[in-house]
Amino acid sequence: MTAVDLRYGDEVRRRMASLAGAGTLAPGPDVIVGQAGDRERGAEVILQLRVAVEQVTEARFLAFGCPHFLAAASWLTERLPGASREELLHWDWRDAAAVLAVPPAKFGRLLTLQDAVRAAAANWPGSGAGTV
Amino acid sequence: MSEVIYLDNAATTAVDPRVVEAMLECLGPGGDYANPSAVGHEPGRRARARVEQARAEVAGLVGADPAQVIFTSGATEADNLALLGAARFHRERGRHVVTSRTEHPAVLDACRQLEREGFDVTYLKPGPDGIVEPAQVEAALRADTLLVSLMHVNNEIGVVQDVGAVGRLCRARGVLFHVDAAQGAGKLPLDVERDCIDLLALTAHKVHGPKGVGALCVRREPRLGLVPLLHGGGQERGLRSGTLPTHQIVGLGAAFRIAAAEMAADGARIAGLRDRLWQGLAGIAGVALNGHPTRRAPGILSVAVDGVEGESLLYEMPQLAVTSGSACATTSGEPSYVLRALGRSDRLAQSSLRLSLGRFSTTAEVDFAVQVITSAVARLRSIAPLPPA
Repeated sequence: MTAVDLRYGDEVRRRMASLAGAGTLAPGPDVIVGQAGDRERGAEVILQLRVAVEQVTEARFLAFGCPHFLAAASWLTERLPGASREELLHWDWRDAAAVLAVPPAKFGRLLTLQDAVRAAAANWPGSGAGTV
Repeated sequence: MSEVIYLDNAATTAVDPRVVEAMLECLGPGGDYANPSAVGHEPGRRARARVEQARAEVAGLVGADPAQVIFTSGATEADNLALLGAARFHRERGRHVVTSRTEHPAVLDACRQLEREGFDVTYLKPGPDGIVEPAQVEAALRADTLLVSLMHVNNEIGVVQDVGAVGRLCRARGVLFHVDAAQGAGKLPLDVERDCIDLLALTAHKVHGPKGVGALCVRREPRLGLVPLLHGGGQERGLRSGTLPTHQIVGLGAAFRIAAAEMAADGARIAGLRDRLWQGLAGIAGVALNGHPTRRAPGILSVAVDGVEGESLLYEMPQLAVTSGSACATTSGEPSYVLRALGRSDRLAQSSLRLSLGRFSTTAEVDFAVQVITSAVARLRSIAPLPPA
């Protein structure tokens, strides 16, 4: 009999199985990057977003962190396509916390994810910052 | 192979079937289940005989006289009885205690209790290899030093301290010497006389005996006084009240008897498995051994895995029962204090794995573990940002 590790909910387990959205996008003028965190502090993420017609069309992540953090990054890459710059600027970590049943002790790691989303928004084409 | 490969024998071990058989003889109707203190009747005397046989088996493993052995609920209680009991009894002789930063919480927390009672405790910092040198102990001794406490084998990294050298040093200076031998007893030779150990804490469940039973060996010549922790029926010469659990004690004795008889063969085989495991893992880039390369107990291997996060690494390996950091502290989420005392960064301490082998570990299990760990590390690194140059 295999005992389920109750520290992780179904959505975390599902996402850790596939790690959907992990990887990188081919660099180009339409790809923006948001980076946040520090592996010395246990969580680091790089988001790459392809932008067209004022919307995110594609998202990928690279991440170092606990299963909740990796699952949240994966979940985020599926949520971001279709988002505008304004929506990125207002993305809130609590959405991921609720969906993934992240324990309060790890909320700080989701703030790292929020920082990465907002850093990407700051690099939105035409906002004055760069693309890759 | 079973569904999950058990590589957590430093946390606890499977009870040897020979031990189970001995214990069962003391449980059911017709068995030796009577109260060993009830020597007024035959069943009680039979139970007492089993307890005394176990006492001799425990003593035999560590070169002690059976009269030195006090049964306890495990090493934690034995450590507490040794430290608190000796310090409280001899407090007029001195209020200074020396120990190391990498001791088990059973010792460290007992030392903190002594601090609350007015004792001064020196916590020695081991070298990067986890070794506390006898010269460090010597330098820490003061005129008012009452007691030195040093573990035999570290539970997280498996390094072996030179307890004999420290024991002789303490004996020469008239300082009491306590050794937590929870991880070492039954795996490496120990002798309370040769090593000048005044108080030796032991447990059954690290050597394929049952949980819930251990012992404290207390020096008899000259007699070492202790203040008991428990009060009640006056069992164990008044040092540990409570009805003696015959089946547990018989299990402890059987486990130690088997360990003594098979120590050399088991040790060589398990050390071979540990070396095979290390050779397999050393092939992964960024993997480093924690602790001294050669002064190691046979069954414990601790490795730091750079470039992966510890919790995710464990998550990726549901086929393996291993631990990250200290087994006694893994629920805290804090990096291991032992690895930090060795100078490991928080990140490397957090991404360290302890793999511990036992009598029932096999070559196939070790090879499978290497495959699983290699694969898990590769998967996590493949999705991680490149580390800083």
